Amino acid sequence: MKNDLRPKVQRGAGNRTVWLALLVCIVLPFVISIPLATEIMIFGLFALAFNLLLGYTGVLSFGHAAYFGVGSYACGMAIRYAGASIWTSLLISIALGSLLAAIVGALAIKKRGVYFAMISMAVGQMFYFLALSPLKRWTGGEDGLKFIPRLKLEFPFFVDLGSPYPLYFFVYIIVGISILVIWRILNSPFGRLLQAIRENEERTIASGYNVTMAKFVSLVFSGFFSALAGGLFTIYLGYGPLHSLYWLTSGTILLMTILGGMHTFIGPVVGVAVFLYVQNQFSRYIERWELLVGILFISLVLIFPDGIVGTIKNKYLERKADDTSPETEPELNAKTETEG
Amino acid sequence: MELTLTLIITQILFGLALGAVYIMMASGLTIIFGLLDVVNFAHGTFYMLGAFAAYIVISLFGNFWLGLPCAIILVGLIGWMTESLLIKPLYGKDPLYPLLLTFGFSIAVTDLMRWIFGTIPKVIELPKGFAGSFMSAGIFIPKYRVFIICLTIAVLLFLWFFFKKTNLGMIIRAATRDSLMVRTLGINVPRIWTFGFALGVGLAGLGGAVNSSIVAAVPDMGVEMTVECFVVVVIGGLGSLGGAILGGLIIGQVISFVSLFASDWSNVAIFLTMFFILLVRTRGLFGEAGRL
Repeated sequence: MKNDLRPKVQRGAGNRTVWLALLVCIVLPFVISIPLATEIMIFGLFALAFNLLLGYTGVLSFGHAAYFGVGSYACGMAIRYAGASIWTSLLISIALGSLLAAIVGALAIKKRGVYFAMISMAVGQMFYFLALSPLKRWTGGEDGLKFIPRLKLEFPFFVDLGSPYPLYFFVYIIVGISILVIWRILNSPFGRLLQAIRENEERTIASGYNVTMAKFVSLVFSGFFSALAGGLFTIYLGYGPLHSLYWLTSGTILLMTILGGMHTFIGPVVGVAVFLYVQNQFSRYIERWELLVGILFISLVLIFPDGIVGTIKNKYLERKADDTSPETEPELNAKTETEG
Repeated sequence: MELTLTLIITQILFGLALGAVYIMMASGLTIIFGLLDVVNFAHGTFYMLGAFAAYIVISLFGNFWLGLPCAIILVGLIGWMTESLLIKPLYGKDPLYPLLLTFGFSIAVTDLMRWIFGTIPKVIELPKGFAGSFMSAGIFIPKYRVFIICLTIAVLLFLWFFFKKTNLGMIIRAATRDSLMVRTLGINVPRIWTFGFALGVGLAGLGGAVNSSIVAAVPDMGVEMTVECFVVVVIGGLGSLGGAILGGLIIGQVISFVSLFASDWSNVAIFLTMFFILLVRTRGLFGEAGRL
């Protein structure tokens, strides 16, 4: 009950958490395997972009893989078919991802949550089928986008993205900057507006804000960074898998976000780290990984909707509230004594 | 290929048969949404369960006509349990929670079925009477597809009768409009909700059972169906049974004709149809203004 009444406003304290997380990520590739660390960075960015929409604006998108996948394929195609440089390809990814988000927003952002969820799922599936069959010639169909030439960065200085450490730090820098940008967006009046929309949309409208535009912009930002993550994914893998458009990818990013805590800033990244790490360690032994994912999902929704970071934050906040709550009982007793 | 009249009529009939299954599925989804305000992301999963239930019953008892009602009952029971155990605790919370839960449920159950039954498609044999097609003036339609159309019409008539003429149906209609009031009148509304959910997924199960002779039963058949149901319901307008029917008919025809000319695009075509209709009429064809 107590937790339900308290508004889930994220405070500025996130700044310290963000810098701490970024610091941790510098040493991450030395602690766990480099591919895993790189994936955590990429999907962490994807999850943050996703949570911009879900946790902050309160809009659930079930087909976010569309932006990720479009970013992934756009980057790969630009490199393979147009011989574009890494930077150009990433820019193309971002542009297309944002454009797609704008289109989806134009069609559907005014709709009620459940409608938007269904439409976004349809968008995701549509792109999956597009890549699978009709556009097979360009996307490689089921096999994915292969034969992307060797990746290297020419500007500002030469970096061989074929080798793990330079690749990781390239990804790290881009993701790090993105995280700071997202943080800046969310800790601004606009960010507060998004949270207001999440908490009570009618009241926000009544207060005179253009809620539709705010939600639209939020979606475009989300598409922007999701596509960037997708582009980085292609660079990391050296090829563009069809799986990046698959509905399970949308579902997994949703799960990781909730697992970490959708009402916190850094929660989604934590969720990604925990999930990918556990998957990396245990999916070898556990055959029915998807079954576990489903059960985890159900358990989270029923028992721990606040996720890891959310639950920790609640415990911490609860303790703080208990320390500072005024003691009213003794005063009353004192009064009756004097009166009696 | 020549676009003859017989070809067109054949395709229309074929589209009706396809649409029939979608109508059945979308009706179930609409009932659940109208009554519980829950969008069942696991609807396709119950469709898949229906297909497997029919397969098991028919394999065990060899009787096709036993398989269909058993599928409905079994899936309805599973739906009853699902709603009572998993969805009921979420009432009163954020309306997105049941979506998330049913989504997770679909992932878990699909994988569970993969585990139990493997991924090799299970085919159900049709009774001899359904073999072959009706032919007349060059128009072909397989007998089984005609059966599906007739069955769907029967189901729709049953639903109409149930909702309009029976007490329980009247209670459900009332609870869809104003559940608080119905509760005030002393009726156990949570039990009605559970029943509504079971009915909705029972319809999905029937759809699966009926379709499993055409499309072999495979655990993964549920996911695509869920998304296709959503498209039907978005086109028709969420919450409207008439919309579900119209949406199903449209999608059936779209798939039928696109498969004829550009089969690569048949999957994508339904989404393009959805977007086009959304552009023209943003709340779906029969969507209620307030509910959107």
